[in-house]
Amino acid sequence: MKNSISQIKKALIEKKISVGELYDEYLAKAKSGNNNSFNLVIDRENNISSINDSQNRYDNGNPLPLDGIPLGIKDLFCTKGIRTTASSKILSNYIPNYESFVTQQLLNDGSIFIGKNNCDEFAMGSSNETSYFGPVINPWKNKNSQKDNLVPGGSSGGSAAAVAEGSCVASMGTDTGGSIRQPASLCGIVGLKPTFGSCSRWGIVAFASSLDQAGPLTNCVEDAAYVLNSINKHDFNDSTSSNHQREDYLVDINNSFEKKIKIGIPSDYLEDVSDDILNQIDNTKKALSKHGIEFVDVKFKTTEYALSTYYILAPAEASSNLARYDGIRYGVREDGESLDDIYLNSRTKGFGDEVTRRILIGAYVLSAGYYDAYYRQAQKVRRLIKNDFQRILNEVDFILTPTTPNEAFKIGDKLDPISMYKNDIYTVPTSLAGLPGISIPSGLSKNGLPLGVQFIGNYFEEKLLLQLAALAEKELSFNE
Amino acid sequence: MSDIDIKRISYLAKLKLPSEKEEFYSNSLKDIIKWVDNLKKVDTSKTEPLHNVTEKTVSIRNDEVSKSNSVDDVLSNAPERAQNFFKVPKVVE
Repeated sequence: MKNSISQIKKALIEKKISVGELYDEYLAKAKSGNNNSFNLVIDRENNISSINDSQNRYDNGNPLPLDGIPLGIKDLFCTKGIRTTASSKILSNYIPNYESFVTQQLLNDGSIFIGKNNCDEFAMGSSNETSYFGPVINPWKNKNSQKDNLVPGGSSGGSAAAVAEGSCVASMGTDTGGSIRQPASLCGIVGLKPTFGSCSRWGIVAFASSLDQAGPLTNCVEDAAYVLNSINKHDFNDSTSSNHQREDYLVDINNSFEKKIKIGIPSDYLEDVSDDILNQIDNTKKALSKHGIEFVDVKFKTTEYALSTYYILAPAEASSNLARYDGIRYGVREDGESLDDIYLNSRTKGFGDEVTRRILIGAYVLSAGYYDAYYRQAQKVRRLIKNDFQRILNEVDFILTPTTPNEAFKIGDKLDPISMYKNDIYTVPTSLAGLPGISIPSGLSKNGLPLGVQFIGNYFEEKLLLQLAALAEKELSFNE
Repeated sequence: MSDIDIKRISYLAKLKLPSEKEEFYSNSLKDIIKWVDNLKKVDTSKTEPLHNVTEKTVSIRNDEVSKSNSVDDVLSNAPERAQNFFKVPKVVE
């Protein structure tokens, strides 16, 4: 099993390894990796002052919560002075002058960035195949066809692959419709999407502002709590950032629950799924039943509308957010005789196929004559979906679902967009409801590939959600 | 569903699709719009649209002057600049 943050910190405190040696170890893996999981790797000399400062804090006996921990950062977070591309041609030369709120918190807590993780272009994709810098390869192989390169999932595919291949201890991802949880599941690691409004969106390249949320991809649940402690803070620069009191997510994480826990399993999610997927749910149920946790069948009324709602709202918000890429103020400019030509040429040549498609969907559903029928109707159905979740969370403490409908598939396998969009069938509804969800690895498929289960909790109850996930992780013993 | 005027939609999105790709995007858009059409059968006559999912009140900060973004910072990524301005082709005659 890979080392956890607390194990690494212990080794640093006991001087079994220095911060510089630790950095070099991960940097070497990041540089020699064959999975294309980084768009950019940061050499030791460019991090030397952070490494020295961190070592000094260990030497003085007062390390910070994430001191010296090498992290990967999805190339969607603005990092001051470090190229930030969103894996798009149009931002391929962009060097931010400011640090995103979330990455600033990670730096304040002593962590050191190994590099920027590859992702789907503007986080639009479920397989990391839409990146301008080429697809990411899943470190796992199908045991029955070893030579096939598989997708890591997306859009935080580089983040997931980097953690799975061991080239960073943890990585920051973003999740709009499943972009943390789905790749975590396909790469056999932990992925947490916090409640919408928990972690500030300030400085994250915007995709769909009513859905985007930052969160960690880690080797274990405890590591997710370490990262969440750092990034989950109120920020005035994000008007949807909630200013409620945050808890310490590490305290009690390994304790048993004080009250009896009831978990709902939506039977409609499990119709027509493969045995591989059903086994994950059964194993999780068995493992947790030993602890007196009760499982009940729950029924959603809105599941069939979730993907449609998402594929109206997310492209609509994207088409509006991506209007800022005009070739004038930053990003790549293409020549043109008039100002309008510059706009048209820069955007047309700067965006890839999937991003273009989503901008077009968004422009269509927002256009005169269609706005009420599509966009406004989708916003209304979104409320019905949220109400549906609230009804069920009044009956149960958590919801258990598969994270994905299938294992990792071959690169190039899914060509039509709708079959790709269906990959997020279990993660999109949670995103629309704004609820927190965590995917933990639960077992292997018949082909020897990792699969995950998703636990969904109530608004801002990440502490209980992590406690449950830690218990399930221990019982399922995927990492051992 | 009415036909999709791909030229108009791409103009609204400030995109100039190459003619050989117009059909590709047009068909793709038609498929997706047909796929999401099932929302029309949902009765939402008594439902308000949902904008901010947690519906937490927006927090208000004090209106204080703070330093951020110097002119050079703002212009540092500009493809073309002239003194303290972004440079573009002539817009008004």
